[in-house]
Amino acid sequence: MELSGWDAAAVCAKAITYAATLGAAGAVFFLEYSGGLLHELPRTRIRRLIGTLLLGAALASCARVLLSGASMSGELAGMFDSGFVRMILGAGEGRATGMRMAGLALAALAIPSNPRFRALALLGAATASISFAGVGHIRALLPNFAPLLLLCMHLLCGAFWLGALGPLLIAARDGSDREVALLASRFGKLALGVVALLLAAGAGVLWTLIGDAAQFWSSDYGRMMAVKLLIVAALLSTAAVNKLYLTPKLLSGDAKAVIQFRRSVKTEMVVGALILLITAAFTTVAGPPQ
Amino acid sequence: MLKLAILAVALSGAMVAGPCMAHAKLQSSSPAKDAHLTEAPKALTLTFNEAAQLAVLKLTGGGKEIPIPVDKNAKASPSFTFPLPALAPGSYTVQWTAMAADDGHVTKGSFVFSIAG
Repeated sequence: MELSGWDAAAVCAKAITYAATLGAAGAVFFLEYSGGLLHELPRTRIRRLIGTLLLGAALASCARVLLSGASMSGELAGMFDSGFVRMILGAGEGRATGMRMAGLALAALAIPSNPRFRALALLGAATASISFAGVGHIRALLPNFAPLLLLCMHLLCGAFWLGALGPLLIAARDGSDREVALLASRFGKLALGVVALLLAAGAGVLWTLIGDAAQFWSSDYGRMMAVKLLIVAALLSTAAVNKLYLTPKLLSGDAKAVIQFRRSVKTEMVVGALILLITAAFTTVAGPPQ
Repeated sequence: MLKLAILAVALSGAMVAGPCMAHAKLQSSSPAKDAHLTEAPKALTLTFNEAAQLAVLKLTGGGKEIPIPVDKNAKASPSFTFPLPALAPGSYTVQWTAMAADDGHVTKGSFVFSIAG
């Protein structure tokens, strides 16, 4: 599989779109389930993070369309060719991007901290998260309702998990040790079910796309997916350390545990970013075996 | 989380409608891949395994690109035919980029043919 510089740039733009969108959505979910566990300073900083990520997601979505034009044409001029842009937007990307922008706009209602807008902000966060299912390999399946549903669950759960990491880091930096302990405990309890659903939904999507174990290893898509699964296993290990080792230490009041927790969350963020990068790669430059 | 699950069901229903296609692969071409022709072809035809939009088509020979206008606004089709100017003997390379209309995925490829002198 040969990749040009423009192909690589388009993949990076897609990965950044994933990270910013799922990060913003997950932070909106975090504000909802963290309830009164955090005092105002970290909550304000999390809302600022949401604003930054929402803007980043919107810009990355636009950049992705333009870079796809460059990738298709193999040259810079492709970014500014209205014919390419129309083609890309007409082929499902327009639907996905429109849905994402609408979701991001609604999710921005989480920033003013007005309780009247909470439900709309959550709706926006969910919409933006599942917008990635508006285009892609799943669309090629017949029938595709169940695979689409599984993919939406996978995306929502991914947003919940990866999008919590930024707010957790802010809380670990600005919150009291007691607040961090209670948040880590609450997140850990919720994450058990969410991660199980994430893995089950992901396995279901993978099965519908590949379906044959022999084809998994013989295709670029399958091999890149295998790399993703290895990185997911690494992320699960880090999360397990947080839940089983660090969270009990936090709850017992161990002062060093907060520093270890911050380090662990940063590690999860790096690993999470790698997962999004490899996902962007195999959903752009490879396809499931047909 | 249950409310989000119900929401996902409702929203995913909105995305079910619409044609479903997959990656566009070049099924055949005229001239065929690696063809050795005794006379210059009058047209270039690309046939894909499904309806696609042709984004890029480049024909190069003797180090020069032979312009072939591609209508990016054309509707998706499984087959595209382009008239060719008179081609001199030599080796030619066709590079193409196509986009599957619904899943939006791009495939690229190339093949060569030659015209005997």
